[in-house]
Amino acid sequence: MENGTFSMNSCAIRIEDLSVAFGGRTVIDHLNLEIGQGGPTFLLGRSGSGKTTLLRAINRLNECFPGCVTRGQVSLQLGGDWVDAYAPGTVVETLRRQAGMVFQSPNVLPLSVARNVTLPLRTVLDLPADECDARMEQALRDVHLWNEVDSRLAAPAASLSGGQQQRLCLARALALHPEILLLDEPTASLDFKAARQIEELLVELKTRYTLVVVSHSLSQAHRLAEQVFVLRDGGRIECLEEAVFRDKDALLAVMDELV
Amino acid sequence: MERALRVFAWAAGALAPAVLLTLLAFLLWRGVPGWSLALFFGDTPPLDAVLRGAPVFDGLWPACLGTVALVLLATAIAVPLGIASGVYLAEFASPRQRAALSFCVDLLAGIPSILMGLFGFALILLLRKTVAPAANTGLLLSAGCLALLVLPYLISTTRLALESVPQELRLAGACLGLSHGQVVGRILLPAALHGIFGGVILAVGRAAEDTAVILLTGVVANAGAPSSLFGKYEALPFHIYYLAAEYQTPAQLAQAFAAALVLLCITGGLFAVARLLRAHLETRWKTGRSQ
Repeated sequence: MENGTFSMNSCAIRIEDLSVAFGGRTVIDHLNLEIGQGGPTFLLGRSGSGKTTLLRAINRLNECFPGCVTRGQVSLQLGGDWVDAYAPGTVVETLRRQAGMVFQSPNVLPLSVARNVTLPLRTVLDLPADECDARMEQALRDVHLWNEVDSRLAAPAASLSGGQQQRLCLARALALHPEILLLDEPTASLDFKAARQIEELLVELKTRYTLVVVSHSLSQAHRLAEQVFVLRDGGRIECLEEAVFRDKDALLAVMDELV
Repeated sequence: MERALRVFAWAAGALAPAVLLTLLAFLLWRGVPGWSLALFFGDTPPLDAVLRGAPVFDGLWPACLGTVALVLLATAIAVPLGIASGVYLAEFASPRQRAALSFCVDLLAGIPSILMGLFGFALILLLRKTVAPAANTGLLLSAGCLALLVLPYLISTTRLALESVPQELRLAGACLGLSHGQVVGRILLPAALHGIFGGVILAVGRAAEDTAVILLTGVVANAGAPSSLFGKYEALPFHIYYLAAEYQTPAQLAQAFAAALVLLCITGGLFAVARLLRAHLETRWKTGRSQ
């Protein structure tokens, strides 16, 4: 179990020698990691261990924050080709569309339910209105939201419940037809039932997308994960054997030891 | 102590509506009796004046047209410039550029309006001596100087409104694959419309009431309805000032009050138009449909 580097048959994301610093403060230090296709791959670790930064390094969202310096290489398998995320020729907007993201608290836009999904489609892909509507319906069906909102597509998205909003955010990312989904504690702000719904969705979606999930919930990782990495303080990363994260007590013991 | 503070805060809060209501009541009391068709159109038949542009010699109609033209022209110049500068300051400027530009905007905001008028006047003198001997003060010059006067309000409110849009919206836009420009244009600006229109309303009000700028840049007492961008024009604030300063009969003073009330109504009307426009834009953004 060498730190972080694993040879997988079908690797979707390869991170080599990645370092990320904000305003001179190093958050991730020379990290190597290979994430397999499908998943879900869970990233565990204490608060402040750099899980979110690692996730945001994959779609280059760290660049939206001032003073961010990223070094190293992040490669993603997109459309059958390997794409170097930080290469000068890589269009960051395309990368972010292909590696969609869902945040901890649902960040719906202050728009109607329908427009939350169609605005990015219109803006980014310049699709005609009828295709936007078709994609919206499909995405809302994929997250089992269509039957709940089809009569109030024009209502403000903020009027939905927390769980519905989070599924709307997921649908918004799915409508752009990504290949990778990055989920940053997607159930942390939801109640038990809404969290369960999201978990069931993850199980469905893992056959079509590569899922990378940052989570604080060991039981979630235990139930859902196909691959588990633990970020330790100081930026080191450990991969857990399947036998470990399939066994609740062993997982707890290892986590106690590691973090 | 706490009780005294609360009473003081309450009184201070009540002061603004109290002053507004007193002012309104006073204007209504003094102004309404003077309202009549003759106040607007003098001896000219109103329909002729409104539809066929018949000259009005002794009424407020040309001044009303002048004020509306002036305000629309000034906002047409200032709003795009102000919003664009605000966007630049909030979204694209480096910290050093931001500090330098904000300082300039603050300075511009501190310039008294009479100086802005003097600047316009001096500009015309310069043009006459150099490239354009026929240049003269007129509507466009006044509108340009008024636009400079209200520009800082628009820049500051736009910048503030953009900066107070939650960071999550930026991230949401970015992670959906929108470019920075698209995030600004499709998400942040619409989300900041409320604040930006606050600045527009402030600018409209300021442009409608200012007398010092237009005094030196082209307003006259009897020019008739504005006929060209470069011609002289009449405007309500100047009309009020002129009547109130030089009235000879109580009827003329009453006319001044009536004109003040008209100016208030015009400004109120422009505010209403601005609000309708904002509501329309917000609906279109939120639902993708234009009502």
